[in-house]
Amino acid sequence: MTSQKKASYLFIALIFALGVLMPFMIKRYHLNMLTEIIVFALYAVSYNLLLGYAGLLSFGHAMFFGMGAFTVAVSLIHIPGLSMWNAVLLALAMTTVVGFITGGFLLRHKGAYFALLTLAFNSLFYAVATKWHKITGGDDGLSITRPDLNLGFTTIKMADLTNFYYVTLVVIGVAIVFSWYFTKTAMGQTVLLMRENEERMKFLGYNTNISRLILFTFTGALAGLAGAFYTLHFQFVSQSAISVDMTTTVLLMTFVGGTGTFWGPILGAFVYIILQNYLSDITDRWPLFMGLIFIVMVLVIPGGLSQIILSIRRLIPGKRNTDRPVAAEEASP
Amino acid sequence: MSEVPVFFLHGLAYAGLLFLVSAGLTLVFGMMNVLNFAHAAMYMLGAYFSFTLLRATGQFWLCLLVCPLFLFIIGALVERFLLRRVHTYGHLHELLLTFGLAYIMTELVKLIWGNFPLAVNIGGFLGQTVEFFGMIYPIYRIFIFGCAVIVGLSMAAILYKTRLGIILRAAVNDSEMVNALGFDVPLVFTGVFAFGAALSGLAGVIAGPLLTTYPGMAHEILIDAFVVIVVGGFGSLGGAVVASLLIGELQSFGVLLFPKLSLALVYLLMAAVLIIKPSGLFGEKQ
Repeated sequence: MTSQKKASYLFIALIFALGVLMPFMIKRYHLNMLTEIIVFALYAVSYNLLLGYAGLLSFGHAMFFGMGAFTVAVSLIHIPGLSMWNAVLLALAMTTVVGFITGGFLLRHKGAYFALLTLAFNSLFYAVATKWHKITGGDDGLSITRPDLNLGFTTIKMADLTNFYYVTLVVIGVAIVFSWYFTKTAMGQTVLLMRENEERMKFLGYNTNISRLILFTFTGALAGLAGAFYTLHFQFVSQSAISVDMTTTVLLMTFVGGTGTFWGPILGAFVYIILQNYLSDITDRWPLFMGLIFIVMVLVIPGGLSQIILSIRRLIPGKRNTDRPVAAEEASP
Repeated sequence: MSEVPVFFLHGLAYAGLLFLVSAGLTLVFGMMNVLNFAHAAMYMLGAYFSFTLLRATGQFWLCLLVCPLFLFIIGALVERFLLRRVHTYGHLHELLLTFGLAYIMTELVKLIWGNFPLAVNIGGFLGQTVEFFGMIYPIYRIFIFGCAVIVGLSMAAILYKTRLGIILRAAVNDSEMVNALGFDVPLVFTGVFAFGAALSGLAGVIAGPLLTTYPGMAHEILIDAFVVIVVGGFGSLGGAVVASLLIGELQSFGVLLFPKLSLALVYLLMAAVLIIKPSGLFGEKQ
């Protein structure tokens, strides 16, 4: 194990410890916001695996997020006595299957074609969610109550925000760490190399189509998990969870944080949710400011916030950061 | 079924509008390889400009002339000062930039005109109905189809019959060589993008009296226009014609025959085309 890897594990442990202490340090309102940030952090991480690592710009990531969100809500309503774990597992299974099937169609295309197709698929899912009123509630949405968590020896009351926060922190945290670990595996590295030079990877005997499909399915399942917790957090889901706006949100988060690093999108989710909360308090036109921030970022700092942090770190002598994939813009043809 | 001819004509009118929107989109994509997400937002700007101008002057014909000109200028400015700057970063950034622009334009529209639908009444000759074959039909819908035919024919004439068209098509194949031959390729690209914007503006003016003018109109047509260029084949003008007709009629008869499924029908068509011919009906192999 290199010292760098050790430092990463230390960093993860530190963040977890901080997360555990948070409920004692901040107010209820902020804890609510923090739970939302954690949920969206996973969503952004999954999106970045597509955009930053595989170089695939998707406008349809919300279909997995929304699918996960709706699966939890619908199954909790229609299957009495369903435990929270099983609802979440059901959401994971659904999104994995949907990711695998849609991936088969979508991944036949690249670049702008792929972007367009994902958008159209997302619209199809959105249309279904809106029209299938009996199941999805259409415009009214679905309300649920979080079921209590049965750990065998004891039951945890999920109605309490702090308890739900801890469950979210652990489950989503583990999922994020697992995604990070995934990028370090041979499979994760294959995806990176594929983006850099697909011809060469094919020549070396890799089946790039299968690797890409596995990655796409994996990110779909991760987004589905995030969506499942989104429903559990708000105890409500409407068709906005599966709308193109939900993809826009994650795209903004990822881009603001920076597609060049694994941790960038988490930072992006953090900044985005806090900005959104405060801006929407001040003005009704907060998307306008979000749009302006976005344009400025594209024009001035295409690497996002993590680019700024990395360049500051590089100014400190003796510190070299190599723990990052090559920035996405270098990859697109 | 006495409704069939009427629904067929409705389909033609919507197809005309779809063609006007997607022609500019597919032109810009074919020439510059930029997928312009702000295209539909520009279309919406066209509709809103036209609403204001119509209220001030009452001259619909004036709107048809002036609003595309406005959008031409906006398009030229966007290309020259924003899009060109990110060109070196690659397509992803161009796409993201137009995406951010769409966001801002939508919010500006809500800020200036409000977040509610506006009704546009044109009155005059175009507002009347005409009777033929025992049907009473609004002239305006026939007018839309006529506009689409005129625009489509003139675009084809410019692209395939004039010197400018030759330069344009050459610049797509090898822009460096065309540049070396003494043509100002960056200026050509600015012109193409601005022309695409003007087309979207024209479509917006025309859409105003047909559909409602509201902040969601951009998103509504954007998806349909994207489906048109996917089905027709990226960058193909002929494909855009055929796909617009297909989708216009499908939408129209979908409402008549399967009211519940009408939204999904368009996507099903797209999925079917993609399975059979992934590059679209008239697209070249990628």
